[in-house]
Amino acid sequence: MGILTGRKVLMALLCIGLWLTVVDIGPLSADQAVSYRLKWLINMSTVGDVYAEAQGLFASEGLTVALKPGGPERDAIRELELGHADFGVASADQVIHALAKGSPVVVLAQLFQANPLQWIYFKDRVQIDTPADFKGKTVGVTFGKNDEIIMRTLLARAGVPESGVRLYSVRLDYTPFFSGRADLWPVYINSQGVEIGQRLEAAGERIAFFNPEAHGVRFVANSVVTSERLKSERPELVERFLRALLAGWQSAVDPANTETALAAVRQYDRDTTLEVLRAQLEATRPLIQSPGGPAVGYIDIAAWEQTEAMMRQYGQIDRAVDVGRRLRKP
Amino acid sequence: MLLRRIYQFLMIYLLGVLCLLVIKVAADLSDYVIPGIDALWLSVRDVGWRYVVDVLDTLRVAVIGQVLSIGMALFIGILGRQATWFGSFIKVAAYNVQAYPIVAIAPIIFILLGDGFVSRLLIAAMICYFPLLLSVVGIMSQPIPDVEHFYRQTGRMRWQLEVKIRSFENLSKLTTVIVGSATLAMAGTIVAEFIAASAGIGYSIRIALYQSDLAKILVALFMIGITLSIYQGILEWVGSAVKKVWAR
Repeated sequence: MGILTGRKVLMALLCIGLWLTVVDIGPLSADQAVSYRLKWLINMSTVGDVYAEAQGLFASEGLTVALKPGGPERDAIRELELGHADFGVASADQVIHALAKGSPVVVLAQLFQANPLQWIYFKDRVQIDTPADFKGKTVGVTFGKNDEIIMRTLLARAGVPESGVRLYSVRLDYTPFFSGRADLWPVYINSQGVEIGQRLEAAGERIAFFNPEAHGVRFVANSVVTSERLKSERPELVERFLRALLAGWQSAVDPANTETALAAVRQYDRDTTLEVLRAQLEATRPLIQSPGGPAVGYIDIAAWEQTEAMMRQYGQIDRAVDVGRRLRKP
Repeated sequence: MLLRRIYQFLMIYLLGVLCLLVIKVAADLSDYVIPGIDALWLSVRDVGWRYVVDVLDTLRVAVIGQVLSIGMALFIGILGRQATWFGSFIKVAAYNVQAYPIVAIAPIIFILLGDGFVSRLLIAAMICYFPLLLSVVGIMSQPIPDVEHFYRQTGRMRWQLEVKIRSFENLSKLTTVIVGSATLAMAGTIVAEFIAASAGIGYSIRIALYQSDLAKILVALFMIGITLSIYQGILEWVGSAVKKVWAR
């Protein structure tokens, strides 16, 4: 009898477990739960995302947002298609790669109006004023990533043959750059650029950054993406999410909210000192919204088209994807 | 033996690809998430030969790393086989070195030694050394009383003879361990290349990952699998040949 009761209890538990796994019981709270996959670990490049979360901007739109940090092994676009995420952050090259392979991804907003990717160099070692000055230099690039395409475009436009430059494979540490094996090294100007720049300057080094955008090469960086299905089936959800997110970014880069923005990032990034975070926020602001520039989240169609053209030119995609059609219209 | 390993690998690989294709069709996924047959074929055409060269480069490092770790494991295993204080010290030291995960040590190795051949070799050797050591210590510490008794009673036992007896009696075990460690050496080299090197199939996988190109990764997995199967088949054949020669 005891065994029978035990079996019945076990069966009941199994049935409940099965029911819970197959039936979508919806969010436990009244808010709509959505999942948002970031491109990288939470740092200053995600300040608007964490600000919106910390300040309850998502909640005020009736959303409970699970912010998921990204990383090299994470791909927001794949997660959108597999249903593991509702929204995500991806760079333009990821979006264009995905479109070339038939992924139904759409771009909702462009977070970075200027690409933070630049090349750091020691002023006492090299003098780089134009891309033509790369001739004879050793330049760090991450083969397969967008900095490789940007560098190849710069060289082609400057008429520098690839044999005239030594491309050095970038790896996880900066030793080749510090030791002089590479003359230039790619960094994100608002994160590593600040941190390493401060350290080198404290050590008495004179450093500078080479900005590809200043020489006409515009390659779009982080943007907010979702699936075409969600956009067409739940437009109101997409609008609510986007409203809260862009409000978060708008407020986060407002100098009046500096301390709140720093506190939001510091919740996750405890290893970076407050001074460095402050300088990183300062460096992030003009990338998100320049004075007199377009609104936060503005999608620069011309820059997207240039990005696609560069990727085609260097064989990153084998067909045109007409990326303009996949960008959200204002 | 060699053929069996190759067709077993082909079966497993094809089953894996088939499963992916079933998921692709069932869930209506794009080529970006799971590549179709045509995308796979295009990748084979684009990078197939390059990946063959890369995987052979990786295998070269893995084989040298494995030979080094076999030598190291035999040396430490023979030293540590005796139940003396020194034997125990050697074992504890060897175990402690292995307590640190290689991914934590790898960046230090790359910073100190650069991203060239030596770093890849060292990491490959470190990853496959410990399981080898455990087996060698186990085998070498286990007396073969039936055989050893005679030599001990007649006062003719020397350490070289003891090692020879124990190796011969456990040759099948040793061969299995060495064949298994080939996988670890290959995995170690690929991990090293993936983390920081600038050559080999691990490095190519990293680039494919940056490009979100699963088709290239599947091609790389095929190259790794088939190369490893052939290498393991050859090791097994060498092991059985050695046994035959020794048994004469």
